[in-house]
Amino acid sequence: MSESMRSWSHMLLAFAGLGMTTVLTRGSFFMLPASLRLPPLVERALRYAPACALAAIVAPDVLTADGHLTIGWHSNELWAVLLAAAVFAKTRNMLLMMAVGMTLFTVLRLYT
Amino acid sequence: MLRTIRAELIPPLDPVAFREGARNMGPPALAIGAWGVATGVALVAGGLTIPLALVMTFSVFAGSAQLAVLPLLAAGAPLPVVWVTAALVNLRFVIFAAASRSFFAGLPWKQRLFSSYLNGDVGFALFMQRYGDATERGNPEQWGFFYGGASLNWVSWQASSVLGILLGGLAPTEWGLGLAAVLALVAVLIPMVVRLPAVLGVVVAGSLAVATVRVPLRLGLLMSVLAGVTVAVIAETKLPVREATRTRGRISFLRRTGVVVPPGEEIGS
Repeated sequence: MSESMRSWSHMLLAFAGLGMTTVLTRGSFFMLPASLRLPPLVERALRYAPACALAAIVAPDVLTADGHLTIGWHSNELWAVLLAAAVFAKTRNMLLMMAVGMTLFTVLRLYT
Repeated sequence: MLRTIRAELIPPLDPVAFREGARNMGPPALAIGAWGVATGVALVAGGLTIPLALVMTFSVFAGSAQLAVLPLLAAGAPLPVVWVTAALVNLRFVIFAAASRSFFAGLPWKQRLFSSYLNGDVGFALFMQRYGDATERGNPEQWGFFYGGASLNWVSWQASSVLGILLGGLAPTEWGLGLAAVLALVAVLIPMVVRLPAVLGVVVAGSLAVATVRVPLRLGLLMSVLAGVTVAVIAETKLPVREATRTRGRISFLRRTGVVVPPGEEIGS
């Protein structure tokens, strides 16, 4: 973990900017003149951006460590995520998927 | 004083509709509560101190974005990259705003801004389910319904986040609760990728992000998102139009806009 995460001034500045993204995105078309509309192509792009952003964050988090690939039989994290994802896809139950994922992760961590 | 603030920020609300909106939010509020606890735990497990996590939850008020930027903050990524990443995850709110603004168009700007701030995933979905087909748009009944749901949403989200943050502070780090943040993000991601264009976009963005993980300042992340979105949009234009995208109506509208269905809640099915 970086030192910057312990710095109040750095983090408060970060949060201020993050809060602004919430206000600006939610407020966007509420505040813009009514004549302004979302072009269909832009709307389509906007629809895919959140999913792509989440994938681009989650994938390196699970599949790499310190800039190196960690895909393999011994990646506890990967197995836990795969099982949890399968459980969630099937049940759409958030608590269950987290419980299952964390349990498998803990079991693998302690017994392998 | 409080009365003045209320009149400045909140449009006139019909009390019956307010209660109905709140009641409607009841079952989703439980799911939101679970999600809030998970997020709170994940924030602390991801490296935030308890006071900072509390400041974050009240100042940012966007769960998926909070979780998404956590690894970036922990890695010491530059703040502009952190902010752009959050904005990307929050872009769905722009679509919500475009779709629901006609209900708030006549209000003074402070009331519009405050209403928009409360226009999160679940509140938007429930509101559009109820009034998406309304011809008369913008009356105290609709505002009442909206604020009833939005109030309960805010309270259950913040209360459960605080609970999660405090619980997260109790857990030893070797439990690996950091994985909870990843799992929570996976739960947000899965309902978004029910269609082929989205699947392709996500695969491209994810693989590129892995391939570019050593690019400095995490700039590979932004490039990956751009590539993923481009692929998804092209795929959507090239692939044959599916039945569901052509059907009109509230539910297909919600699906098309990629409304993030809260974990554990399947709206409209």
